[in-house]
Amino acid sequence: MSQLDWIVLVITLTGIIAYGLYKGRSSHNLDGYFLSDRSLPWGLILLSIMGTQASAITFLSAPGQAYTDGMRFVQYYFGIPIAMVVISIFFVPIYYRMKVYTAYQYLEERFDGKTRTLTSLLFLLSRGLSTGISVFAPSIILSSLFGWDIYWTNIFMGGLLIIYTMSGGAKAVAYTQRFQLVIIFTGMFLAAYMVIRFLPAGVGFTDALQIGGKLQRFNVITSGFTKTGFNWSDQYNLLSGIIGGFFLALSYFGTDQSQVGRYLTASSIRESRMGLLMNGLVKIPMQFAILLIGVLVFSFYQFNKAPIFFNQVQLNKLENSNYRDSLHQVNAQYDALYITKKRTVTEFTEALHRKDEAMIDQKTAELQTLQDSSEVLRGKVVHWLNKNIPNGDGNDTNYIFLSFVVEYLPKGLVGLLIAIIFLASWGSIAAALNSLASCTMVDFHRRITSKKETGEQEYRLSKWYTLAWGLFCIVVAMFTYDLGKSLIETVNVLGSLFYGVILGIFLVAFFLKNIRNGSVVFWAAILAELLVLTVFIFTKTGVFKLGFLWLNPIGALGVVLFSWILSKVSSRYVDRLISK
Amino acid sequence: MSQDPENKPPLFRSWNAWYILVLGTLLLLIIVFYLLTKRFA
Repeated sequence: MSQLDWIVLVITLTGIIAYGLYKGRSSHNLDGYFLSDRSLPWGLILLSIMGTQASAITFLSAPGQAYTDGMRFVQYYFGIPIAMVVISIFFVPIYYRMKVYTAYQYLEERFDGKTRTLTSLLFLLSRGLSTGISVFAPSIILSSLFGWDIYWTNIFMGGLLIIYTMSGGAKAVAYTQRFQLVIIFTGMFLAAYMVIRFLPAGVGFTDALQIGGKLQRFNVITSGFTKTGFNWSDQYNLLSGIIGGFFLALSYFGTDQSQVGRYLTASSIRESRMGLLMNGLVKIPMQFAILLIGVLVFSFYQFNKAPIFFNQVQLNKLENSNYRDSLHQVNAQYDALYITKKRTVTEFTEALHRKDEAMIDQKTAELQTLQDSSEVLRGKVVHWLNKNIPNGDGNDTNYIFLSFVVEYLPKGLVGLLIAIIFLASWGSIAAALNSLASCTMVDFHRRITSKKETGEQEYRLSKWYTLAWGLFCIVVAMFTYDLGKSLIETVNVLGSLFYGVILGIFLVAFFLKNIRNGSVVFWAAILAELLVLTVFIFTKTGVFKLGFLWLNPIGALGVVLFSWILSKVSSRYVDRLISK
Repeated sequence: MSQDPENKPPLFRSWNAWYILVLGTLLLLIIVFYLLTKRFA
């Protein structure tokens, strides 16, 4: 990184911390610290919801995803608008009426203490570990690209934000997220503009889309159906996006305290609802735009030589292995293909401009054959890394966009894009720390301690809990590095394993009013969790194939079904006892 | 649904109009994306 990049990076990050400290002043009690005194307008709620969901990986991974697999990933977000409507109608009024600090407080009122404890514990476990990964994931990318020490990168990634999150609580989180998103969108827009500018003379935006489209990168809508029927293991298609995505979004936005805690800071139900509904309106177009950058980068690399694999650290592992000669051979073939591909894609765009349909078809067929050959060569490298190199990682999706940034963008803009990675991480991690602290304080500390504490004392304790969770997440990030990628995979699926069950408990609470027995729901949740784990183990061991999004409806509907069955059984048992 | 004047929605008379707008936009986006896929693929 150049000196100018460092200046831009340091100024942006210190600016955010100072802004968070300045804006985060609130009342010295739990209402002020966790709920911003319930004072925020919907615009701020919207940005806070978006800033919490969008982590660094969102901005790094999405363009890479479009580069390798096309734009169909956008379908993953199709469930969000439906979930926003359901949460606005059913969830928000209940949370407001009961004036809760955490979503799980409601469960004690509705069922019993143990159901609340179980749900809050599931949240603390999954959110605490996944936030540790949120610290580690962007750190390892920056560390690989720039050779930074991973431990220090983890500390800066997960540590600096603790300053304003601990000091200012939910208010600091919301205000910094607003500032962060403005910088993030500006940077992403500039990056997109630069990709288009770097295309060869005579090749425009629509030409780039045509190239991406002809090479299966503009596959926004996919049905998931093959000649043999619906492919249940396909992760991203219209059906899994709407159904699986809906359950995931309903659980995440409706019952995950890191999101519920954002819209509980609104000044009224109206402001909460507006923030959620506007999120339902803007989230898909935003994600579409980020993925589009990936398609543009893909088209850019048809005219410019792309590395066969974007993670240089992993390539170095191959260089230092028995595969060195094979890698050189594959690289030479890849280079030769690139020269032919560049000539063909230039002829393709010329044919497009002449509207020469016959030539367009001919060049499209040639391009597809060349692209298939390139992917076969790339596939060999991926295979060697996955199967034959110890600790090898054949997934370079997160490195594609950043490699382009570092290689081609001008000085200053690189620093801004690196700052964006930090800011996007901070936005989601800060919200997570705030929610972890609120659950610890409200769902556990307050219920366990026998001492009556003042608002000021609770406020001070909450700050210490925020610090403790921040340190916990950094420690998780450090251990993640030591234990390798298997832990990352394990923790990544953790969310899907628990989200459905947590949602199911809330669905029973909201919609099955005749079920009042807390023990019924508690045991139904345990059974549903066992069901989800069984399905997950079967998919992992190859008994059958199923995309991870489907675990969410299975968990949620499992709790509903088991609760209904157990309530029927238990009521008959009670009836029999009474009649005796 | 709360009919408290403080919780009345902006722009529209009822929240139902907002819900229809959000779901209608989703439907419209899916149609536009489908047409874009057809156009560029």
